[in-house]
Amino acid sequence: MLLKLGSMLAVVAAWFGLSLLLPATVLPGPWQTLNVLIENVVDGQVHQHLLATLGRVAGGLALAMAVGVPVGIVMGLNRFAEKTLDVWVMVALTVPSLCYAILAFIWIGLNETAAIVAIGLTSAPSIAINLWEGVKNIDTRLFKMARVFNASRWVIVRRVLFPQVLPYIMASLRFGLGIVWKITVLVELLGRPDGVGFQLFYWYQLADMGQVLAWTLLFTLVMLFIELVILQRLERRLFAWRPEVRL
Amino acid sequence: MSREATDNGILVEGLIKEFPGQRVLDGLDLTVASGEFVCLLGPSGCGKSTLLNILSGLDGDYRGTVRFGGRAMAPGGKPPLTIGYLFQEPRLLPWLTAERNVDFALENSRVPRARWAAIKDHYFALTGLQAFRHYYPHQLSGGMAQRLSLVRALAIEPDVLFMDEPFSGLDELTARRLRVDLLDIWRQTGKTILFITHNSYEATFLGDRVVVLSRGGIRNQITVDVPRPRDYDDAALFQVGKTVSATFIEAAEAAERGRSEGTAHPD
Repeated sequence: MLLKLGSMLAVVAAWFGLSLLLPATVLPGPWQTLNVLIENVVDGQVHQHLLATLGRVAGGLALAMAVGVPVGIVMGLNRFAEKTLDVWVMVALTVPSLCYAILAFIWIGLNETAAIVAIGLTSAPSIAINLWEGVKNIDTRLFKMARVFNASRWVIVRRVLFPQVLPYIMASLRFGLGIVWKITVLVELLGRPDGVGFQLFYWYQLADMGQVLAWTLLFTLVMLFIELVILQRLERRLFAWRPEVRL
Repeated sequence: MSREATDNGILVEGLIKEFPGQRVLDGLDLTVASGEFVCLLGPSGCGKSTLLNILSGLDGDYRGTVRFGGRAMAPGGKPPLTIGYLFQEPRLLPWLTAERNVDFALENSRVPRARWAAIKDHYFALTGLQAFRHYYPHQLSGGMAQRLSLVRALAIEPDVLFMDEPFSGLDELTARRLRVDLLDIWRQTGKTILFITHNSYEATFLGDRVVVLSRGGIRNQITVDVPRPRDYDDAALFQVGKTVSATFIEAAEAAERGRSEGTAHPD
């Protein structure tokens, strides 16, 4: 924790040092950026855009998990499914996120649904791959144990398979969140009238570096909060039985 | 647990098991009397694990008959008796505490819930694990984890215990203690035990009878006529162990030869 704090301080210090050398239109310092951010918050425009973005992130992530998790699990457990699907997952992964966004906006229209579909489908392959690799590592010897002790198929799925897959679902949730954030901003830039991505693009066009950095900073802070405070705690609680999480 | 009243013996006749291009069991006959402790000794690849998979109902694809206490097991069906199983590794569910691991087995058994507490108390005490009931598997030593899997196997009140090299992953000192404990438990409960091992002296120390398997079937059977409780340093036991060991080595060499002759399907 101290190490983390130290490295953060070092980066902020480096940012400050660089900002002294460069003109404020190119790189405003941390203090100025924070001021702009605080002004934005006081103005009351931040929460509207942030909520719009968060909503899309949540929707996109939910869709990505709903598609990616089952595909990944089936691929990890079943050799036939693995052989059939792996090419398509790779293809889906290779298509640039911009293509998904453009296709979604053209086919579905410039609306919220299209945005969420674009975000979800772009991140689903990464989640599927993440889970596929993880599920390959689960201990299948425990299935035999459960069968010897007369567990039914449903009991085996629920009490032997699911607890083993859960850590990988959680990991892919965190991993997916990182991807979804980035795609959401891109999708907003392309086809939505609000959100953090829209703001970034707007201030970029006005060449206002202070605002661009302020929105980037906001975004990073919210993301760190979700990652460090919410997800890590949830994970620690869920996996108290695991030796590596026990502190 | 009246050992005379019910027949918990195992009778295997003409058991044939084939994998593609290879006959693993070739008309195997085996009798285990009710309450008997039989050790199966054999080189790797002789079909020991295959046999246990069939006997425990995991593998229904075989020919021949398997009877438990006189009742035939339908191929593809479950054994008509309750089977307790010990694996080479503890195979505990790592996200459950020691006690919940035993509950997992009990929940899928016929033991009425009202008796669970008493059964668990009994076997946790018997294996010296009562202080560790709320520990997770990773907090237990290898020997303790294997004891816990013994508790799990016994808790479901099995008629027969199958043990698949359960002590081979432990250090010799721990393994010795567990063998003595196992014999105590066996003396108290009178379970029928089929114990697989590749350690001649372990087989001799534990078993009433040692069945040496070679490729496909039984090579020899040696009755261990040494009174119990047995002592590791007993000279008579050591003599029997030497015979068992020699038979085992012969069986292993025969299996090697069989393998190199049958070059059509090298595995």
